[in-house]
Amino acid sequence: MTQSQMMNGQDRGVTGVANRPMLSRVADAMYWMSRYVERAEHISRILVETSSLLTDIGDLAPALRREYWRDVLRVLGLDAGEVADQMLLGTDEQVALRICHYMTFEPDNPSSLLGCLTMARENARSIRENISGEMWENLNTLYWSLRGDDAQARYDESAQEIYRQVLLGTMLFSGLTDQTLAHGQGWLFTQIGKSLERLDLVCRTIAARSLLLQRPDMAIDSDERNIHWMSLLRNCGSLEAYRRIHVGDMEPESVVAFLVLERRFPQSIRYCVHHAHDAAVRVRAEIDPHTMDQAVRILGRLNTQLEYADVGEIERIGLISYLGQIRSTATDAAEALRKSYFLH
Amino acid sequence: MFSEYHLNGIFDEMFEAAGQPRGHYRSVHTRLAAMGSDAFQRRRRMADLSFKNQGITFTVYSDTTGVEKIFPFDLIPRIVPSSEWETIEKGLSQRLMALNAFCRDVYHEQRILREKIIPAELIYSAKMFRREMLGLQVPRDIYIHICGTDLIRDKSGQYLVLEDNGRTPSGVSYVLENRAVMKRVFPALFGAYRVRAIEDYPHNLLHCLQNVAPQAWEDPTVVVLTPGIYNSAYFEHSFLARQMGVELVEGRDLIVENNSVYMRTVAGLRRVDVIYRRLDDDFLDPLTFRPDSTLGVPGLMNAYRCGNVALVNAVGTGVADDKAIYPYVPDMIRFYLGEEPILNNVPTYLCSRESDRRYVLEHLHELVVKSTNESGGYGMLMGHQASAAERAKFAEMIKEDPRNFIAQPIVELSQHPSLIDDRFEGRRIDLRPYLLSFGDKVVVMPGGLTRVALRRGSLVVNSSQGGGSKDTWVLEEDGDGSGTMHPDFVAEGVTV
Repeated sequence: MTQSQMMNGQDRGVTGVANRPMLSRVADAMYWMSRYVERAEHISRILVETSSLLTDIGDLAPALRREYWRDVLRVLGLDAGEVADQMLLGTDEQVALRICHYMTFEPDNPSSLLGCLTMARENARSIRENISGEMWENLNTLYWSLRGDDAQARYDESAQEIYRQVLLGTMLFSGLTDQTLAHGQGWLFTQIGKSLERLDLVCRTIAARSLLLQRPDMAIDSDERNIHWMSLLRNCGSLEAYRRIHVGDMEPESVVAFLVLERRFPQSIRYCVHHAHDAAVRVRAEIDPHTMDQAVRILGRLNTQLEYADVGEIERIGLISYLGQIRSTATDAAEALRKSYFLH
Repeated sequence: MFSEYHLNGIFDEMFEAAGQPRGHYRSVHTRLAAMGSDAFQRRRRMADLSFKNQGITFTVYSDTTGVEKIFPFDLIPRIVPSSEWETIEKGLSQRLMALNAFCRDVYHEQRILREKIIPAELIYSAKMFRREMLGLQVPRDIYIHICGTDLIRDKSGQYLVLEDNGRTPSGVSYVLENRAVMKRVFPALFGAYRVRAIEDYPHNLLHCLQNVAPQAWEDPTVVVLTPGIYNSAYFEHSFLARQMGVELVEGRDLIVENNSVYMRTVAGLRRVDVIYRRLDDDFLDPLTFRPDSTLGVPGLMNAYRCGNVALVNAVGTGVADDKAIYPYVPDMIRFYLGEEPILNNVPTYLCSRESDRRYVLEHLHELVVKSTNESGGYGMLMGHQASAAERAKFAEMIKEDPRNFIAQPIVELSQHPSLIDDRFEGRRIDLRPYLLSFGDKVVVMPGGLTRVALRRGSLVVNSSQGGGSKDTWVLEEDGDGSGTMHPDFVAEGVTV
């Protein structure tokens, strides 16, 4: 069957309605909208957790304090350069305030919450006819909650409240995406975007935390070690799920194994890879059945690798380089996706 | 809240005399008069928030960031009785039939020029006249598929046509959203009225677009072409695409190959049959029109010329809504349809006519002067409010390029109560109904966009000049709204 035949109405689903291929630009915007929302979710979670952890133990571990704030920047690749150095000057309290503000409202920081939500909304705005009214209204309201006239005042009153609001708002967006959008091409692109973004951020978050806790100059008291690993789980929204599976066990190896290899939990890397691969396969099937593209190949291999991996393998290769490989493979997959679908 | 309401000596839509509402307004008036200012303000805030959360905004670029504003919404509905509407509907249909016949004629036989009903030089000097369209066959001979005609009412309450917007009239999305919001925040006000539904407009629009598909596909592909998200009417482009369930495309999503138009999809190229373009002629195709435009599609005009794609509205319809050609519309109606115009024009002086020009220059202080090719309230002089210096500037401009100006006596637009701060005051309004042409018939949306000049004393209703809008109710039958509630309407009232 040639392409033009397919387009002229033979490619119909059970409902008899033609399965229209979506615009490349729309697919691209779907993908990025979803990535930015996911990024905002992760950032707001990290900001909530970091503030709350340091309120508890900040006084006990003054050296760690600044490093934790540096890690907030590091997870988003913002820790190098003059701006970062400037932000880390002054008292701990000043650093905390500055970084929180930078990560919340700073217009020059594309990874600030406002920056992410602005990009998510701009993408959504350019494809409004392809997303549901509920998704749009939710994202738009969320955007105005940070952009509106009273945002600064509410932030001054309680930054935590703002972060929780963004966290809930972004999670609501995911729920609405699942429940109000047909699970066709558009939805599949949002799923690939979300999974790739999440696995990238989870990789970075694990890497930053484990590097920090291994540093000899940090002198972490073994009594407190658990708290730091628990907070890593919290940063990845995984603490409760982890606890239920690993009762009473806060060994670093178990935590890492959970975040990297747990099959059943949506925040784990393996889950994300599986989900991204699954969505990529289904996109292909919708658009051109019985064929395979480069993104499917790359994700399929990575998926299989993680499926059969064990903790020993991570130890042999070294956690940091293991995570690095996953990230770079995911980047290749994203690039292949772009070439296959977004560049027509 | 009506206690200090003034009729201002002009036609008032709600009151026939002080304290005496017209029959069709009686029920709304009773409810409004019984309402406290607080209750009203609360509803206003609800409506504003609803517009904002739904992103029903337009963008004003005053600085680098661009400010998103909501189009001010005035909660008091404008009501048009059915008998009045019947005349409007007939008059508008008649006008659009004539305008389409005129476009067809101008780009083919030019009978109306040869019979000297319209001076040929007026056509050839029209900025929007497109030589490229001469002899080009457009599907079903329809040029203006979608028209948004501006109506005003004079002191006596007579409806007059102010202008025919036959290029890419906008605002219809506000009409639909205004109604939806009104039902949400003010369901009680609908009370006993039987208001004609307008929700089928997108459906009719889609049929109107499919109607001109070049080949008789079972399922032609229709798209809406937008300049992009930075266009001030972007909301509307997206809204209409969504309501019709078709793709919203930008120029870069389309490509012309072998004189056919395709869109770039994740599965490769896909044929496009009909383009509802919300882009001016100038930007459509850099190979034919402005070469510096990146908004359009190179080669689009060739595909159009080959009859492989339909453009809606057709290219070159601007010649019919040139303000210097507007005075001839009544003649067009007589010439093409052999009928007398049902709706009158506003008397108009053509500055290109010597006698008219002399009169205009002598009476600038009591005329409105308009540039023939501007819209949106730009390039305009309100003679009675302008300073001597502004009048002198326009006098110079008129002498320099008379073809580019017309003048009209200042029409005292009708007024309608608006909520201003905490009470009702009269504000000037107009009405833009939306028409769809199917060739042999015209479908008029019952209602339209009622725009309000929210500044006291202002006669300019454009949104760029501080205007707002109202929901417009066309009644199923004449009456005072004391009948029973329409069952369909009750059901619709809860699903917004």
